[in-house]
Amino acid sequence: MEIEDKKQKPFLSVVIWIIPLLLLSLIVLMIVYTPDFQNSAFKMKSFFSGSVNYAKNSLNGGNSSLVKSRQKIASIENKLDKLKPVKPYIVVNTTENRFSLRDVSGDTIKTGMCSTGKNELLIAGKKRIVFKTPKGMFTVKNKQQARPWVKPDWAFIEEGLPVPSARSADRIDYNTLGDYALEIGDGYMLHGTLYQRFLGLPVTHGCVRLGDKDLELIYNTLSKGSKVFIY
Amino acid sequence: MKNKLAFWLITCILSIFVIYILVISIVMPVMTKTALPKVVINAPVVKEKSGKGKTENPNPKEEPIPDSLVAKSSKDGLKDIFELRKKENWLQSRFELASEDSMYLVLDLTHNSAVIEMKGIVLHECKVIKSEVSNSITMFQNETLLNWMAEPFTVKRVDSTIPKISFIEKIAPKDTIEANKVEVEPKMPELEDVFIVMDFDRNLRLVIQQNEKPTEKGQKVISDLRWKYQLAEIRRTVQSLTKFNRQPSMPQITIVLPKSDATILYKSLPVNIKMILKM
Repeated sequence: MEIEDKKQKPFLSVVIWIIPLLLLSLIVLMIVYTPDFQNSAFKMKSFFSGSVNYAKNSLNGGNSSLVKSRQKIASIENKLDKLKPVKPYIVVNTTENRFSLRDVSGDTIKTGMCSTGKNELLIAGKKRIVFKTPKGMFTVKNKQQARPWVKPDWAFIEEGLPVPSARSADRIDYNTLGDYALEIGDGYMLHGTLYQRFLGLPVTHGCVRLGDKDLELIYNTLSKGSKVFIY
Repeated sequence: MKNKLAFWLITCILSIFVIYILVISIVMPVMTKTALPKVVINAPVVKEKSGKGKTENPNPKEEPIPDSLVAKSSKDGLKDIFELRKKENWLQSRFELASEDSMYLVLDLTHNSAVIEMKGIVLHECKVIKSEVSNSITMFQNETLLNWMAEPFTVKRVDSTIPKISFIEKIAPKDTIEANKVEVEPKMPELEDVFIVMDFDRNLRLVIQQNEKPTEKGQKVISDLRWKYQLAEIRRTVQSLTKFNRQPSMPQITIVLPKSDATILYKSLPVNIKMILKM
């Protein structure tokens, strides 16, 4: 029995050594070929030599470099300021249906609720009409008091009415837009509403509807050329 | 005797192999610092508002500065320069994106904020509740990190549990009677649970999670998306192991935002999202 044991021992010890070594090799291979394991490796490396690298390679520089950097920063800040609006502006949040009226310095004058596009696709035969508020930067192109609304085709289609001719008097509506309207292009406007209870909800055909008091303030604060940011 | 010899021979070969792999995998990559790809700067022209194209060096960090100055500078001095250059790059990137006509994301991990900006105007600011940055990013507290963040990141792929924009389809009524029947009281659409994965250029992955506990249905959708990425990772690993092809590291930043902010952020930003990172 003893003789048999002695014969098996070297074989067993080889196996005992090989298995962990193979496992270790596999782990190392994983480190080599997988990003997750690499992250762990990076942590080890930073522990050993992070600070040394910082001092050595981090940044070449001196006082001249500091001065240059400060000058460049001032120059870029100046350029950035030039891009900002020179008149009071309004920011409209279409997800929460809220607006923020701001002065030139960016301070808030007034925030409140508004209504924006209902994100609806109206299918009328072959026609596809999308009701959504566009996003981006717009400019107030025109300001008008008691502006009548010239109803487009979709206003009739949506109500199941026959579409009148382009110059028909049926298209004129004196109440819908409220007391003031600010045009921002492509037929979109900031205007009042008959449905004040829907403020804060996405119900419009793309325009931004505002409450009477807010609209008055916005009308008086913004002028032609003022920026309207919609996001 | 023969077995003993074989044992030592195998052990030696394996040990040499392990040492070789360790050198190749850990020491060499870190020594050469190839984990974070540098920005490739193509056009050094900065648009001037006046319309005149003015050539400037947008990458001042590349300026060689004599070693003597480095030796003289204290560590604090170097830190100051590092911070200044970081600020300079950050402002340059903001200016670059502000000159364009779309919204962009400004992720400032030093102040825990994610901001939607346009033309340099803050449109919406979200408070980052929690953030997690991969080790492969945090170890680079030097020029490599500066180079990596020097230019805005551009998204290459986005996956999300919420749609960018969703439309309700409605068939136009045939007459006024049908139109009146359709009338329903409008209500605020419910916010769906949010989990967003954005893969940017230079191998950066940004994961946006909501702070609120998701609903049962939402949790399933989020888990499915997570699982999709985990599977992709496993596939990538297996491919790497079988083909002996070393994959580049993908640093990841995970931010946790309030659900409403995460929704606003995703829905507001354009499809071709650009991001400036500060950390």
